[in-house]
Amino acid sequence: MDFEVTYTEEQQRFRREVRAWLEANVPAEGQRTPTSPEDTLRRYLELRSLGRKLGAKGWLYPTAPAKYGGGGLDVDHAIILEEEVDRLDLSLPPYYDSGGRLGSASILVWGTEEQRQVFLPPIYRGEVRTWQLLTEPGAGSDLAGVRMTTAVRDGDEYVIKGQKIFVGSDNGTDRIWLIACTDPNGRRHENLSWFMIDANLPGISMHPMELMGTGGEGGTDSGVKQTVFFDDVRVPALALVGGENKGWTVATTHLELEHGGGGRIGRNRVWDRLLRYCQETKRDGVPLSQQQDVRDSLADIYIKTEITRLFGLRNFYLTYARKPKSYEGPQLSYYRKTTGLWMTGAILETVGPAALTTDPTWGSPAGFLEAQQRNGIVSVHPGGTTDIQRVQMARRIGIGRSTREKAGTVHGAEA
Amino acid sequence: MDLALTDSQEMLRSTARTFMEREAPVDVVVGLQKAQSSLAPDLWKKAAQLGWLGIVIPTEYGGSGDRLSDAAVLYEELGRGPLPGPFFSSGVLGALTVLEGATEEQRRRILPGVASGERVLTVAITEPNTSWGPVGITLAPQGRNGSYVLNGTKLFVADATSATDLVVAVRTGDAPTDVSLLHVDGRARGVTARRLPGFVSWQCEVAFDNVEVPASALLGGAQRGWVALDRALERALPLLCAYIVGGCQAVYEKSVAYTQSRVQFGVPIGRFQRVQDHVVRLVNHLDSARWATWEALWKLDTGRPATASVHAAKAVASEAYLEACNAAHEVHAGMGVLVEYGLAAHTQMSRTLFHYLGDPRWHKRRMADALEW
Repeated sequence: MDFEVTYTEEQQRFRREVRAWLEANVPAEGQRTPTSPEDTLRRYLELRSLGRKLGAKGWLYPTAPAKYGGGGLDVDHAIILEEEVDRLDLSLPPYYDSGGRLGSASILVWGTEEQRQVFLPPIYRGEVRTWQLLTEPGAGSDLAGVRMTTAVRDGDEYVIKGQKIFVGSDNGTDRIWLIACTDPNGRRHENLSWFMIDANLPGISMHPMELMGTGGEGGTDSGVKQTVFFDDVRVPALALVGGENKGWTVATTHLELEHGGGGRIGRNRVWDRLLRYCQETKRDGVPLSQQQDVRDSLADIYIKTEITRLFGLRNFYLTYARKPKSYEGPQLSYYRKTTGLWMTGAILETVGPAALTTDPTWGSPAGFLEAQQRNGIVSVHPGGTTDIQRVQMARRIGIGRSTREKAGTVHGAEA
Repeated sequence: MDLALTDSQEMLRSTARTFMEREAPVDVVVGLQKAQSSLAPDLWKKAAQLGWLGIVIPTEYGGSGDRLSDAAVLYEELGRGPLPGPFFSSGVLGALTVLEGATEEQRRRILPGVASGERVLTVAITEPNTSWGPVGITLAPQGRNGSYVLNGTKLFVADATSATDLVVAVRTGDAPTDVSLLHVDGRARGVTARRLPGFVSWQCEVAFDNVEVPASALLGGAQRGWVALDRALERALPLLCAYIVGGCQAVYEKSVAYTQSRVQFGVPIGRFQRVQDHVVRLVNHLDSARWATWEALWKLDTGRPATASVHAAKAVASEAYLEACNAAHEVHAGMGVLVEYGLAAHTQMSRTLFHYLGDPRWHKRRMADALEW
């Protein structure tokens, strides 16, 4: 086994090129925590501008096919890019664009050639940001039970009506995709359709939902989500991806990725800062990190972050080496979520009440511990609750069933 | 990056699995549980012929000098039994301690016999204080006419009832790491090894009553024992972890099969989410142990600093085996505690290895030290 990517001289040269480019193009304090709504918008616009520059170089979606505007790079180069942006506490894309990441994968697998050419280049080049619309008031964990949002064919168009909740983040979006019910009397999993549409069509309106997370455009856990209403929204038939009533099949691709099937390479950003905080903060005249009870707690926390990293690394390898996957995607998701939730208590016990305040004098630097206290809880639900992840794992392990459920397809070439 | 086994590792795995299925099925493993000695002579001879007893011993000392990750493939398969016997005690920890601590002459004298299976080593470290650090080594030999005389007790010595040779860690100075290693004939007058009774697998008490050993029994130099032992442990522990991973894997497979075949309320019990949760908990522990162990092995085989990873792996694996067995008992209910079913052998082994060579808290603390927090 080899747990590390080894780099050729050419790849090392690429790393130097990327690092120099990022130093020249990432705005100073690009990763700072915004201090006001105006500052949040300003930061978002900075990051979108960075995204367009990355997109123009093919670095926003490095492994996406070049013929649709992606980078066309191999995995080794993509890892270099991800590691270099990770050094700056950023991700690819540098703002919340999970709709682009997940939606483009689904279109690559299930879209027609025309749909790929129309929908993919703006995503890969960073010209649009995309939100996914899945959850409804009556369909959360039971996602296949989507009923409230319907789409009815009318000539060359579909007419969409209904409501979606827990959508996107702040600062608006350009594109959205959704699953809607196209056959109210149809069988489960055979009555839904998947649409990619313009977010600014007449009849679409959005209303913010304030969550207890603190969020930020760099992560997936925004402090703001939206309720989206569709009031007889007319969309072209081209928006339908994968065929009428085939929406659940299309969704298996992005659900697999969202459930952790893609894996991840990268540091745990909370851990590094937590350790530094404990080394720099004294209690009774002694650094926290030199007190045995704190060291024991830190060791417990570190081990769980290490296991999360190893599961992410394994899934990354399985995905890009194109090895068969079973329960590994939802396992990573389950482990990451339960660890984050557990860490809220572990950190509170380790650090004390300073973890709860954003006060610049009495709290942690930039309130990063306070953010973890909130986000460790908020992160438990997006992309499927911990219980849903366990149900997925059990089905794929094959317990209690005669056949095993398979992981969703995530490779375009296999379509 | 490549997280698959190599072709030769796959071949070794297949050979070892076939061997285990033929030579050590559940009834054999269960049958061995009450034996005073963990060594089954027939099995031991066959394992020696396959070269498994010298798998980490360099070729110049009669072994095959395989990489640790190759040996780990074998130890996973042995752990599936869990196959008792001093495979790890002699072929890994014993051999590596001699390799790290002994003089060239001593290595040439001791190791070929270990590889061939004629000599069976075990390392005696802890004492009634049950500490696994150097400070816990208090057994101090007296000098008499240029030889050493031992009086005292070593505890939780693995497989001592089948050992021909003991490597005994002794205190020879006042500084914490003033520890030396003595090579003692396991059948010498005054040496008594006794398997400890109870819910523990072949951990022994070794009593020394006026045991006289010659000066040449000192392995390497005086006060060099802890350094040698520490280095040997760093390479040996991941193989014990691999054995544990194999144990977890077997417990997992048993549990999955049971959820599919056991019918209650008219359906296989795996249909119940409460039951599924036990299996999910089990597989999460299994995979935690597996990947922590394999990353440590990879670091050791490629010459990377591995100390923190090794301690993390032992902490994770110890806890994983115990929790995996707990989850399996929740799945199996009455069937799991029926001795002949075979889960109980794992459960007892999981408790034994939880503490052996350091429990999770001990290794987490050493991990923190290695990471220089």
